[in-house]
Amino acid sequence: MTSFLHAFQSEWLKRKRSFASSLVLGGSLFTPLIIVVVRLIRYRSLPRIYAADSFWKMMWRDSWESMAIFFLPLGAILATSLITQIEFKSNAWKQVRTLPMSMAVLFFSKLAVILLMLVQFLILFNLGIYASAMIPYLVVPGVPHPRGTFLSLPLLRENAFYFVDCLPIVGAQYLMGLRLNNVLVPIGIGFLAWVGALAAVSSKLAVWWPYAYTILNYLKDKPKGAHFAHSEFHWLAAVSFVLLTIVSYVLFVTKREKG
Amino acid sequence: MDCLQTSDLYHRFARQDVLRGVSMQVPEGSIYGFLGPNGAGKTTTLRLILGLLKKQRGTVSIFGKRFDDERIAILRNVGSMIESPSLYDHLSAAENLRILQLIHRCPAGRIPEVLELVGLGDTGKKRARQFSLGMRQRLGIAAALLHRPPLIILDEPTNGLDPQGIIEIRNLLTELNRRDGCTILVSSHLLSEVDKVATHVGVLGKGKLLFQGTIDELRRQRQEVLSVRISTSDNAGALRAIADGGIAARLAEGEVVLPALPNERIAELNRQLTARGLDVYEIRSVRNDLETIFLNLVGE
Repeated sequence: MTSFLHAFQSEWLKRKRSFASSLVLGGSLFTPLIIVVVRLIRYRSLPRIYAADSFWKMMWRDSWESMAIFFLPLGAILATSLITQIEFKSNAWKQVRTLPMSMAVLFFSKLAVILLMLVQFLILFNLGIYASAMIPYLVVPGVPHPRGTFLSLPLLRENAFYFVDCLPIVGAQYLMGLRLNNVLVPIGIGFLAWVGALAAVSSKLAVWWPYAYTILNYLKDKPKGAHFAHSEFHWLAAVSFVLLTIVSYVLFVTKREKG
Repeated sequence: MDCLQTSDLYHRFARQDVLRGVSMQVPEGSIYGFLGPNGAGKTTTLRLILGLLKKQRGTVSIFGKRFDDERIAILRNVGSMIESPSLYDHLSAAENLRILQLIHRCPAGRIPEVLELVGLGDTGKKRARQFSLGMRQRLGIAAALLHRPPLIILDEPTNGLDPQGIIEIRNLLTELNRRDGCTILVSSHLLSEVDKVATHVGVLGKGKLLFQGTIDELRRQRQEVLSVRISTSDNAGALRAIADGGIAARLAEGEVVLPALPNERIAELNRQLTARGLDVYEIRSVRNDLETIFLNLVGE
């Protein structure tokens, strides 16, 4: 356990000042920023919006639209691939593999960093949603304080669902990132898989597509995604992540450098 | 006692035998120069030693333990730099070392110490991507030294360094070996780079270990007399006298140059020259230097 913690700290340091960590910050705060700007431009409609009983529910839904369909899956594709590729880019696999730690510690510490970055992304996004609601209230005169509370059990549950739904993307990108030297290849495949997910959501078969779960979670309450409303796709997401991780680990441990 | 031992290492890649039964013995406390021309198989050997390549045949033992059985325990006591240094370009020199320090669990104070040791003490927050080739090489060496390993394996560590840098690294290795008793395995394709520091050498050519032993043993085993040079008060007269004796001689650089001769024949020539009234100032044998021995060995 101690060696895992040290390896995790070491991996966490590697992401410092990397493009992947900027992506977490920029990607999580982009939508809330746009919402603030749009609301300030259309400030006349704010008193009516803020007085609504369902203010937080609407806020949540509006914020997640672009996030669930676009930023979260693409962010996961990019961040996972970039973090995994740090070793290839730095020509550092040969050094990492001669460090006194097991392959399991190396594999899971790197994966844990990516998962923590995903949590970081969701926390920042939630803070961003809250800020995007409160800034217009504080800045525009005459806007009432939003009714109800932002922090609630359904909110935490939805965050957990999005986290789980994103895991298969992380698993698949991690698998590819550890195998392929050229960062563009896993990113390109991930992008195509995401386009495939967009095309697949109109079909019931979308529940079997690892890149579709965040989109399904957003659509499940909408008419377009009604056929997923009672589907237990979160379990499928979790299981596919576990399977992808097992395959990824076996391939990682058995991989040897050529030469 | 040997610190590192390989036995019958064999490696085949792309239908070619890269290594053909390499059995190395690196004595504890030695500086072992691992020599060979480019493509001889030096890096492949080092990568096999460190477990970076899957062993096809043969064994590796370090500190008396089989590498395959006690990989982690062995790697805790080995510092290495294989080929080019592995650096995270977006991080500073200290941050690069911090990544390793966390794994090796050595004191954080060792980072500035080792940076100072390799001459990178003043790089501050400068990122590794802004480093020159020489600075990158130094940081790679610092990474190998960070946890004070008893065995250091460096693959061509002076690549990209200027002459001053080469001397500094050479002195650093000697100092580490002398002060801390580290065993150092250093590969190079240039004999001149290691003959000043190495206590032992292994010469690799086309995947085979052609020689292994001390530098003096290499010199003794392979040294040959190439020519004999004589300097007299009248070199032209000496040349005629020697030619009369049936030896093909010539004049060069103010001396009479003869092919290699047995000692008895040289003594006889000396007597003949003095008998003819010539003053013999000097008779010396010219032997091949270490570089020539090395090149003859590897067949270049």
